Amino acid sequence: MTRVKKYLSLVRGSILEGLVFRTSLIVSIIGNLLYLIIIYFLWKAIFDSSPTDVVNGMTFYDTMIYLVLASAMFQFMDTFVVWAIGRDYQSGQIVEYLVKPMDYQAYIFFAGIGNSIVAFFITFLPTFIIIYFVTHGSIVLGMNLVFFAISLICSIVVNFCVDFFVGTICLYTQSIWGVNIMKEIVVGLLSGATVPLAFFPEKFRMVVDFLPFQAIYHSPLRILTDQKMTGADYADVLGMQLLWIVVTLLISKLFWKKSVRKMMVNGG
Amino acid sequence: MEPIIQMSHIDKTFKVLKRREGIKGSILDLFSREHTLLQAVNDVSLDIMPGEMVGYLGPNGAGKSTTIKMMTGVLEPTKGDILVNGRVPYENRTKNAQDIGVVFGQRTQLWWALPVIESFKILKDIYRIPDRVYKDNLEYYDELVGAGQLYHKAVREMSLGQRTLCDILAAFLHNPKVVFMDEPTIGLDVSMKSKIRTLVSNLNQSKGTTVILTTHDMGDVDALCKRIVIIDKGTVIYDNEIEHLRKYFGAYRTVKFKFKANRKDTKGMVAHEADEIRALLAYKFPEAETLQVTQEEQWVQLLINEEEARMMDVIHSVMEQKEIVDMNLQEISTEKVIQKIYEGGVL
Repeated sequence: MTRVKKYLSLVRGSILEGLVFRTSLIVSIIGNLLYLIIIYFLWKAIFDSSPTDVVNGMTFYDTMIYLVLASAMFQFMDTFVVWAIGRDYQSGQIVEYLVKPMDYQAYIFFAGIGNSIVAFFITFLPTFIIIYFVTHGSIVLGMNLVFFAISLICSIVVNFCVDFFVGTICLYTQSIWGVNIMKEIVVGLLSGATVPLAFFPEKFRMVVDFLPFQAIYHSPLRILTDQKMTGADYADVLGMQLLWIVVTLLISKLFWKKSVRKMMVNGG
Repeated sequence: MEPIIQMSHIDKTFKVLKRREGIKGSILDLFSREHTLLQAVNDVSLDIMPGEMVGYLGPNGAGKSTTIKMMTGVLEPTKGDILVNGRVPYENRTKNAQDIGVVFGQRTQLWWALPVIESFKILKDIYRIPDRVYKDNLEYYDELVGAGQLYHKAVREMSLGQRTLCDILAAFLHNPKVVFMDEPTIGLDVSMKSKIRTLVSNLNQSKGTTVILTTHDMGDVDALCKRIVIIDKGTVIYDNEIEHLRKYFGAYRTVKFKFKANRKDTKGMVAHEADEIRALLAYKFPEAETLQVTQEEQWVQLLINEEEARMMDVIHSVMEQKEIVDMNLQEISTEKVIQKIYEGGVL
């Protein structure tokens, strides 16, 4: 119990912190609205120029629901882990964590999760409820919500591990901005956050299936919006996510360990 | 008794990128890189006993922080053996962390946006501090420095001094066996410095905590430490009781005066005043041969050897003659101490 307590304590602290910065949340909601307006017109133009109503198996309606939820997810998935690690390293603040009887990766994860929880309730949930009513129930509420919740937690972990890995790269590049932009574009594209994966060409899609990124946005959104999924499909999606958790956690942990060793020998 | 920290023949070498000059050099740096080796710590051996308070002094870049980082397990020595609490710190960093506390001046481990008490609660869970110990410590802190009124203040709203105070309290919260303080009093005013000195010396005495303190301020070590270690260019040049050093420095005092101006031409006047004081003191204290009177901008500066003339007497006789607007007693700087050690005489 005492082992878990320190993690809960960090989560509690970060929830409190998330609530302090409510102004920044409001600003990010406004920014998100602007983004939604842009994608609305963009996709409207795409569908208008298409001869059929259904493109790649998705209607304009489906696409919008998918993308609105994706951008709402982005609001609480992005906890600026890359920036946190990069800045901790550059400013030397990282020693404060290294002299704690706690794993840095676990610290950063749990000290950031509270912000995600706050953002979930302030941005994702309202967006979801609005979408639900505006689309007159094209999202089915049932068991899929439970699977969605599990899937979302997996997404957060995979996303964190990817972020943590990229953040560790900053220990070598001495620069954060470029690395972070690169990551945001790659993750945004390959995870299906900016364009639904259904729109990808067949071959490209196969490549994406072998990458961890689709486990971040595509998996939970598919569970939420795809009404034709069977029990085996759910098991398949969640199983893949679990696999990616194991893989990304392992890789990011090893990379961090190696980098800290280097830092201990060569100085920060 | 076994020493709590043992360092023997510790070396630490860093690989530093050699950067070339100018735009052409910078472009060349992109393709070929040359590294130079920088020896930050050179053959340092130290034994520190439990409960000791050791002042670790040295100029900027002398290797103080590097040594502290090796003791905390953040850096691995290039050569030599190190044991803290019977463990090799860099091999058991997380385990070692449970038994030590660290304060890095100018940094904070507190949660910026939250009241300090929240940071303490998080630390309580991270270090698994028993409720009893936690409560006792908070009460004790309040008793010692009136910390109670700070507990509910957000860290970002604190002054530097208050924050440093809280950081020190945080480092002692889990009753660590050793606390490392890397320049904790940097940038603080006199009253906060003295508050922190009282706090640290009380904590050291009541809990028996070993304290390693690095600083530039001789005043800090003067108030706190019995033993001082001086390091320069990575090498220990002095490791002894502070009393031993005080014998050489205690006798000398520097005092500065500013007098009431009654003429526009202040520069000429200060020079004139310095002459007057020199004549006066030469007459009053004929035995003070090394007494020096110099002019420093607006100030008249006296260097007094107390074995020849008592400082209070000198000040007194100056006061009888002149109207003093401002006076300044100067502390001995680490740089001066090191200079003196190199010149010999102390060792």
